[in-house]
Amino acid sequence: MNLQESCGPSNGEGSYDSLLTASTSHIEGNSGNNQANINISNHQTGSNINNGKSNLASINAKDTTTTKSALINNVESSIVTKLNTPPPPQSGDSDVSVVTPFLVKHISDQSLIPKDNYHKYCYRHNPEITCNKRTDEDKMSKIQNALDKLSSRDQEAISHVWSIFSAAPSSHRHLILSGILTQCCFPQLSYVAQEVSNLIRIDFISTLPVEISLKILCYLDCNSLCNAAQVSRKWKSLADDDRVWHHMCEQHIDRKCPNCGWGLPLMHMKRARDMTEEDIKPILKPAAVEGPSTNAAQASTTMTTSNSEEQENKRVKLSQEEHIKAQKQLKKRPWKSVYSERFKLEKNWRKGTFSVKKFLGHTDGVTCLQFNRKYLMTGSYDTTIKIWKIETGECLKTLTGHTKGVRSLVFDSQKLITGGLDSTIKVWNYHTGQCIATYKGHEDAVVSVDFSNKSIVSGSADHTVKVWHVDSRTCYTLRGHTDWVNCVKIHPQSNTIFSASDDTTIRMWDLQNNQCLRIFGGMENNGHIGQVQSVIPFTYKEDLIEDGSESEGEGSHHPANNQGGNQLPLGAQENAENAANEENQLPWNPSYPTHLLTSSLDNTIKLWDVKTGKCIRTQFGHIEGVWSIAADTFRVISGAHDRLIKVWDLQNGKCLHTFGNNSSVSCVGLSDSRFAAGLESGAVKMYCFD
Amino acid sequence: MSNPKVIVISSDDEKFPVDPKVAEKSLLMKNMINDLNPDGLQEDFEIPTPNVRANVLAKVLEWCEHHKNTIFPDDDDEDAKKSAPVEEWDKNFLKVDQEMLYEIMLAANYLNIRPLLDAGCKMVAEMIKGKSPEELRRIFNIVNDFSPEEEAAIRRENEWAEDR
Repeated sequence: MNLQESCGPSNGEGSYDSLLTASTSHIEGNSGNNQANINISNHQTGSNINNGKSNLASINAKDTTTTKSALINNVESSIVTKLNTPPPPQSGDSDVSVVTPFLVKHISDQSLIPKDNYHKYCYRHNPEITCNKRTDEDKMSKIQNALDKLSSRDQEAISHVWSIFSAAPSSHRHLILSGILTQCCFPQLSYVAQEVSNLIRIDFISTLPVEISLKILCYLDCNSLCNAAQVSRKWKSLADDDRVWHHMCEQHIDRKCPNCGWGLPLMHMKRARDMTEEDIKPILKPAAVEGPSTNAAQASTTMTTSNSEEQENKRVKLSQEEHIKAQKQLKKRPWKSVYSERFKLEKNWRKGTFSVKKFLGHTDGVTCLQFNRKYLMTGSYDTTIKIWKIETGECLKTLTGHTKGVRSLVFDSQKLITGGLDSTIKVWNYHTGQCIATYKGHEDAVVSVDFSNKSIVSGSADHTVKVWHVDSRTCYTLRGHTDWVNCVKIHPQSNTIFSASDDTTIRMWDLQNNQCLRIFGGMENNGHIGQVQSVIPFTYKEDLIEDGSESEGEGSHHPANNQGGNQLPLGAQENAENAANEENQLPWNPSYPTHLLTSSLDNTIKLWDVKTGKCIRTQFGHIEGVWSIAADTFRVISGAHDRLIKVWDLQNGKCLHTFGNNSSVSCVGLSDSRFAAGLESGAVKMYCFD
Repeated sequence: MSNPKVIVISSDDEKFPVDPKVAEKSLLMKNMINDLNPDGLQEDFEIPTPNVRANVLAKVLEWCEHHKNTIFPDDDDEDAKKSAPVEEWDKNFLKVDQEMLYEIMLAANYLNIRPLLDAGCKMVAEMIKGKSPEELRRIFNIVNDFSPEEEAAIRRENEWAEDR
């Protein structure tokens, strides 16, 4: 029908839509309100064919007299115009006797069909869908040209076929088509197949109900979504929809998406920068210990305010949704821009696109560092602590007081705690540069400090861990390690301490009763064979890739959640081990961290399952001892004596990048967008991926 | 007497007698059956589906028949649903022309057959995935209604996602 319609030279652009509207009701056999009109118009068309004298002028004249709508006019003219081009043939009665009665009958039949608005239009003839029509016009003119080449007799005959088809109700159309198809030979069928596959193209996204379109878009990756946004206005409005991108953010922010393997950072710091100083206080956290290590090491709090700790820890655990909600209140930003900002950062991490800032000033090896959005603090064998303004790279303050090298530091928004080779722990107000307190008690160098709420924990060369309760002014000594304690970390959620020692083991202590809960180490657990330099407790909810079992050979990896295959032997091993080694039994507490990351002078980084006490993954790559590691939800950074800094994927344990230096790396720190490394030479480098 | 059937009637008045179990894959039909037959189905029960044509209805009921014993995961488990690829049978079942896929999706939506609608959505998503804007216009026969300036601006706006 619409083929014929658009053949008409008289059909302007404007009338085209309404014309299709009319034709639709024929095609579906379910004419709606305009059925009566069509009936009339087609009836007259029939008579036009009959007398063969129709032309546009006459139709228009007729139109005025019969006061038909423009719609009718269009339908009428379109059907007529096919006969308009050739000179009117002298059609005999025999021709007409077949065609006209058919047209008359079926068009009047259509008025009997019950109204059914839902399927009034097929996709193709829906007046609201404009996308198909331009193509149709091209097709029309081609058909018109082909038709023009025929004799007028043939033109008329073919037109009759078409008009019969167009007048036929749906069931008849099927019949006509079946008849034609059965007559076709294969090349013609092939032509039909080709044409049909070209014709049946539906703009799903624009024409499905919006909620279904959004659902489809939610199954896409970000690149496809961005391509979809460039298709058309309608697509853009849907592919940029906040609901779609909110879903994307949920899938990716602060977690690794199981589908695409991408995870995007929370970017507290970025938001923090957008907030006022007052706003950020509650969620301001030391950047160096984002992610897993955050929980353990430095849930930043104050010694002076009592309720801040709890809030702080809750804040740490805020889901990204809440975080982003908080952000939204601050600034109405489209989710797509939230996503793209993080995506660009992640892309830089993946591609290794970064800039380096250097902080020069220490006169001896740098031993420890931590940074947040504003400040970088470094401790050195030169006995000083330096506070740097990250943005400018200038040294704001140099804190002096330790009489020997500084080996460890940790700070929050108000205070800085340091441990030194002079066996003391010092608490500083770094805003003024004053040393507030000095804790003495260790019999040898303090090589590690951490704090949470009102407890300071220190690890020392005297083989002990000491817990200093600031309020009660009491100190407990945790004995068990048989060599230097190089690293201590508090896990505030479970009130436990983890300590790493030169004796090649890591111990887990209960801060409540000062008991050792577990020892991580030993050949049977695939433990370290060298001095353990650092430990990071963390909780990981998704599946971490573990090393394959011995029989599978080195380097073979399989998913950790291989329940059937993996769970059983592990459990069996655990039972066997527990039977043999009673002291390693650990009554499970859900607030315990699920995993530990440790680094050692045996050149490896190990991942431990806290529940079983076993090392489940060993990361090889450094060729000398690994002095320091830092980690967040996605990455592990390691600094080693081989002068290399390596970036690892936390989830699968693969090394992503390696950065060389001119001096061995003694300490590293990590944030969403940056990492810092302190070198034995005294230099500090910060790699910025934002 | 044999077990009572549900007779689904298409918009063009074709009748499809099916097992109640098959019809109940559609939440709409399930609720209708339960609401109107509180004591269980005693006799054949007709359900008209005035929005669904016979050829589409036949397809949808074929799907219901195949999945009459399938237990689908809860709607709430967004993650599991999203990551699960389309089942092989469904994939083949939905390898139809765009018109049929479109109609099946509309019917699944109307009849409230979530897993079928999900599978349809995933099929369309697969058609979109990894395609350039120009390819997408071709696949779905869409007219580019942006001006060249707009198009360039929108391309720049979306550049960040390219070239992973």
